[in-house]
Amino acid sequence: MIQTIHLDRVLREAVTTPFGDLVTRPTGAAVRGHIQRTMSAARGGLTRLDFSAVRLIDFSCADEVVAKLLLAADPAVEHYVVLHGLNEDQTEAIDYVLTRHRLAVAAVPQAAVRPVVLGWATADDRDVFDAVTATGGGDPAALARWLQWPQGRCHETLAALAFRRLVRASATAYLPLVLP
Amino acid sequence: MLVATVPAYLDDRSLDQLARALGSWPPPGRLLIDARACKWASPYGFCALLTLGQAMAEAGLEPPRFAVPDAEEVRTYWARAGFFKYAAEYFALHGKVPRKQPDEPSDVLLPVTPIRGTDDVHAVVNTVAESATRILTAELGLEPKSTGRFTMTFSEACQNITEHAGTGGWVAVHAYHWRRRLGRRVVVMAISDAGVGFRRSLEATESRKFGDRWSDGTALETALIQEISRFRDPGRGQGLAMIKRTLREWQGKISIRSGTARLAIVPPWDDDSPLTEHLPYFPGSQVQIVIPAREGHAP
Repeated sequence: MIQTIHLDRVLREAVTTPFGDLVTRPTGAAVRGHIQRTMSAARGGLTRLDFSAVRLIDFSCADEVVAKLLLAADPAVEHYVVLHGLNEDQTEAIDYVLTRHRLAVAAVPQAAVRPVVLGWATADDRDVFDAVTATGGGDPAALARWLQWPQGRCHETLAALAFRRLVRASATAYLPLVLP
Repeated sequence: MLVATVPAYLDDRSLDQLARALGSWPPPGRLLIDARACKWASPYGFCALLTLGQAMAEAGLEPPRFAVPDAEEVRTYWARAGFFKYAAEYFALHGKVPRKQPDEPSDVLLPVTPIRGTDDVHAVVNTVAESATRILTAELGLEPKSTGRFTMTFSEACQNITEHAGTGGWVAVHAYHWRRRLGRRVVVMAISDAGVGFRRSLEATESRKFGDRWSDGTALETALIQEISRFRDPGRGQGLAMIKRTLREWQGKISIRSGTARLAIVPPWDDDSPLTEHLPYFPGSQVQIVIPAREGHAP
């Protein structure tokens, strides 16, 4: 199941101010609470957080909305999060706060031609994430061939990405959360 | 009655003269703040004056008398900057105060505005965001894509009041020409609160590491240089970190005065001391952020 949460709408519902910016920690906490309730009702699947109608997110609010959402995720529930429609400043703010927490999330920024990883990720993580996205996924052997890597290195990185909910692991293959 | 004279040009440096004139804190007996000879005040000056009034009110002291500037054009400018709108709440004003609130001049990007909670931060961020592109491109010659960073810088600075001060504060943003200090136009953000200050805010979690060296100065270094917050959450302290990063890119300056110390991250164009200690006490904390025009830009 894929659900889309429009952050501008959540902002209007979660706080009483008439303004369209995701700023301040209390605002971020209120927005995160709203997102968590919506996500828990879905019980798994993929949630797209759509930022396209949000003008601004500051670092404090990015920390409350995105970093704390990922930190609070139940590892027992197979639920994926992808950020959509981020502008350059939002991308930078979220990337920065996630890196500080050693967290990462998949995102499709406005300016990007394909999904990217925001936050803390090694060069191997990013290469394998890009490979899974570009190829549409596959088994570790096929992806290793595509990358021209030893299979063990590729498999290890895929497992780490799946653990961090950046790719989806099926019985036989690793799949992208979103296609380019 | 204690008379504290407002310097002719009230800004982040000359505030120390006013603080010295207050003597010990709280000021002994009735206070008269004499601004009659004042010719100009920066947004930092306006916010600091209101902070002084607020701190005295919150300490349960008698409202100080405030002699307004003699010069009509100065009074008019102070009214336009929003000072008198709030000054009457904290001071017994003496002198001719412009009755009607005139339109804000174009160099006042945000008049003096109180910050008492999250809703106020939303409102001022919205105001600044709406004019940010014009400010950055016309006043400073920066690229329009800097708009988001500029507004985020302001938002994070304002949140220091709501997150750490324990009381309300004041913000203002002006653009003007710094002829003597820089020879370029600048945008100046001033954020001041009448709260507990950096030393008390960080005392419970950080003072033990410093022992006898714990002071207003070491508290400022802990917050601004080491980016440590009183909250244990690793996500905290990012606001100041982000502000520093942005200012480094724009050759901007941040200085924070709290209690008896002032700490600044000094860009190459300025000759300020990074850390000044043993200043005369002034209540709360005052932050100033200066963003200069791109070199060679003529608005």
